Amino acid sequence: MSDPLSDLPEAVGRRFAEGGFSSGLSVPDFGACIEMGLEPLGFVQGFCAMQWGWFGSQGMRGSMGYPMAQAGGGYSEVFQCPHGMRGSAHRSWGQNFQQTQVEAFWTEGFTSARSRMMDEAIALGAHGIVGVLDTVNEISDLQISEFHLRGTAVRVRDAAPSALVPWTTFLAGQRLAKVFEAGFVPVAVVSAVSSVRVWGYCMTEYLIHGGAGASWLGTDEPQEIEQFVVARMAARDIVRRKARGQLDGDELHGVELDVTEWEVTDDDWEVRCRLRGNRLRRFKDFDPLPAPRPTVRLS
Amino acid sequence: MSDPSADLPEATGHRLEELEHGLFTSDLSVNEFLLVKEAGFHPVGFVMGSSIYHIGFQTRKWGQSQELTKLTEAMYNARELAMTRMEEEASELGADGVVGVRLDVNYYEWGADAAEFIAVGTAVKAEDGVSRLNKLGTPFTSDLSGQDFWTLLQTGYQPQGLVMGTCVYHIAHRGLGQTLSSTGKNVELPNFTQALYEARELAMTRMQDEAARLESSGIVGVRLEEKSHQWGSHTIEFLALGTAVGGSGGAVTLPKPTTIISLDN
Amino acid sequence: MSGPADAPAGRDLAAEVRRAIAFLEHPPTRGLEPTSDLTIDEELIVHSIGWEPVELVSGLSMVSIPWSATLWSWGQGAITPASSAYEMAFGAAIARIHAQAAEAGGHGVVGVTVERAVHASSVDITLTGTAVRPIGAPAVPPDGIFVSDLSARDFALLTIAGWRPLALVQGASFVYAPRRSVGAVIQQRTQNVELTNYTEAMYNARETAMERMQSMALAVNASGVVEVKVAEGPMPFASHAVAFSAWGTAVRRSDTPGRRIDPAIVVSLDDPTLLFDAANLE
Repeated sequence: MSDPLSDLPEAVGRRFAEGGFSSGLSVPDFGACIEMGLEPLGFVQGFCAMQWGWFGSQGMRGSMGYPMAQAGGGYSEVFQCPHGMRGSAHRSWGQNFQQTQVEAFWTEGFTSARSRMMDEAIALGAHGIVGVLDTVNEISDLQISEFHLRGTAVRVRDAAPSALVPWTTFLAGQRLAKVFEAGFVPVAVVSAVSSVRVWGYCMTEYLIHGGAGASWLGTDEPQEIEQFVVARMAARDIVRRKARGQLDGDELHGVELDVTEWEVTDDDWEVRCRLRGNRLRRFKDFDPLPAPRPTVRLS
Repeated sequence: MSDPSADLPEATGHRLEELEHGLFTSDLSVNEFLLVKEAGFHPVGFVMGSSIYHIGFQTRKWGQSQELTKLTEAMYNARELAMTRMEEEASELGADGVVGVRLDVNYYEWGADAAEFIAVGTAVKAEDGVSRLNKLGTPFTSDLSGQDFWTLLQTGYQPQGLVMGTCVYHIAHRGLGQTLSSTGKNVELPNFTQALYEARELAMTRMQDEAARLESSGIVGVRLEEKSHQWGSHTIEFLALGTAVGGSGGAVTLPKPTTIISLDN
Repeated sequence: MSGPADAPAGRDLAAEVRRAIAFLEHPPTRGLEPTSDLTIDEELIVHSIGWEPVELVSGLSMVSIPWSATLWSWGQGAITPASSAYEMAFGAAIARIHAQAAEAGGHGVVGVTVERAVHASSVDITLTGTAVRPIGAPAVPPDGIFVSDLSARDFALLTIAGWRPLALVQGASFVYAPRRSVGAVIQQRTQNVELTNYTEAMYNARETAMERMQSMALAVNASGVVEVKVAEGPMPFASHAVAFSAWGTAVRRSDTPGRRIDPAIVVSLDDPTLLFDAANLE
């Protein structure tokens, strides 16, 4: 069997080609790996560049009162104007809908990058990949999003080669050691995205921008901007459900939720949620630690 | 004895009443909260004092380094007002002292030359009922964190009061001509370093005077802050802050520390 | 090779890891699928007091500030419409996160991040946290579900010390800063003088905000409020409008007696180094 370390110079070469990008294993992390019996084999990565051509074509907003978005079977909700008289500038209807094409785009990008990274690890004979870093580089004038996953491939010393795909985790170092000590084994890095488009209708427009009198709003009291609230809650629910859908009975820990909102065009927004976490499996019964000893530092 | 809260706006009364009826509020972190309790004190209420002060304009000589006494007075009075009101709120609650005091200055867009001085902290009361008021008969104040407060008490000392000294100093401008012309000549001009030294000393001396008034043994946690506020870079306020301490009469219970090497990232 | 008879510190981590990896051949057994944003340290601390994370939950609201508040920038005193909008938004957000926690079977929510934004015509409040419950506890907690911005670690510490979090309480007050007449401005130019009507107005506003927070605490029968945060700042809807807000966690002594904390004093021999690990590299 070829020396797995013979791959290292190539990994180093790649690393330096990126302008001195760090290997991701600091000295303490490296120490922790050795302590865990994990042998670092090399730096592995996967790329996937996706071009998004769907911008603008995901349902054109019509002005004649018909929701045009097909919504791809996901969440969709229409909001009707409560006012009787309508002028041409009056947004007589609005819609929240799940942009399944956007979500599929992200899923494909991330999954492809991840599986390519795992392929490199398999070539090295690794059992798993620790310290996974994932970034998305958006080159908007070319309408390209570049998904990049990288980490350190490791082999479990004194263990047989595995028939399974390599396990992956965002964690490394002492944090990972604690995961094992707590009774968990890492399975995979999980990423889920939800995208909800908000085509504002008249009520939303007036409430957000102010300036409309009680006649349009129906009251001079503060009121909830229902369309937005519903959209944001839905976006969070959807992303949680999608992440759950990747668990298959396992648990998700160390979750990070990023929410961005931006105005696509006038009174037309997108709420996007991205959830990332570590899928872990319990391998032994829970053995609670004794309550920790509180200390006060003198220096 | 005059009502200590006579100076405070009306709105305060109602809130303090609620606190007196048993509800406590505290801006201490959970760590600090538990340590303060461990030290034998119970948090009583979050107290604040503030004052919006107009800082008068003071003319100054361009080429001379000097203390701007009017501004010094203003900065001192404004902070004193804020601190005193905070102490009054604490007195009203029957507290023994205030810990975790923070002094802040806020500037608002609409207040030209006006600044808001705020003092906030958590009022505490000794659980054993023995009064811990300082030599002046007012609740002690201290900017020590909950952790430092606990540690101090283990040494057998107790905070007496937050003491401060301030000095607003104008640093002389030296034109290029002056700099060039002074080479090779004896010129009597206070030099830059000397000016700063004097300013700092003034601030620290005033702080020590306050500590002496409290008949304290010493000052811990001294820090010196230098700010230009809104006066431009040649006018600096030097503020010396510290906590004056005195013997608490309690036993020294500081155990031998354990040395650790943390293995965490 | 060390065996299980050794002291816990000598537990063979590498052997544990091998055993763990071998377990991947088997499918998962629990099937509960919790999702949690606690770090592994926080999870261990929560476990050490017998609780476990259940679900990542959130609650949010967006409420409009009525036109009248933005129109009358010459207004005086308290800005009631802005205050009401804020109260409404915060209340609705708390109710929603509460509902999500109940649905997930949690007994409380910890580590809630409070994001607030006041825009020209609307107030935005978003709360996100992790629902937790005592390990294996029944779905409906007997004492009601608590929501708290205490970190998981602080929650564990307080529980050990014998306190119980009850609710996230808050209060806010929006005011206009009073105006000074031109004459007063000129006259005060060289004087050091306190601006008493300003002081009074700001004082009142701050006290009102604190008082509203205290009322919420009293309403849930709390003994106190810990980790109170106070914030103040100018508002975008009028140049001299200022908002004061305070929030914290209402607590009460729990039925189980607490332990004394009794900390040990340590002197750390570490030098602070620039530590980094893979998850933070960008």
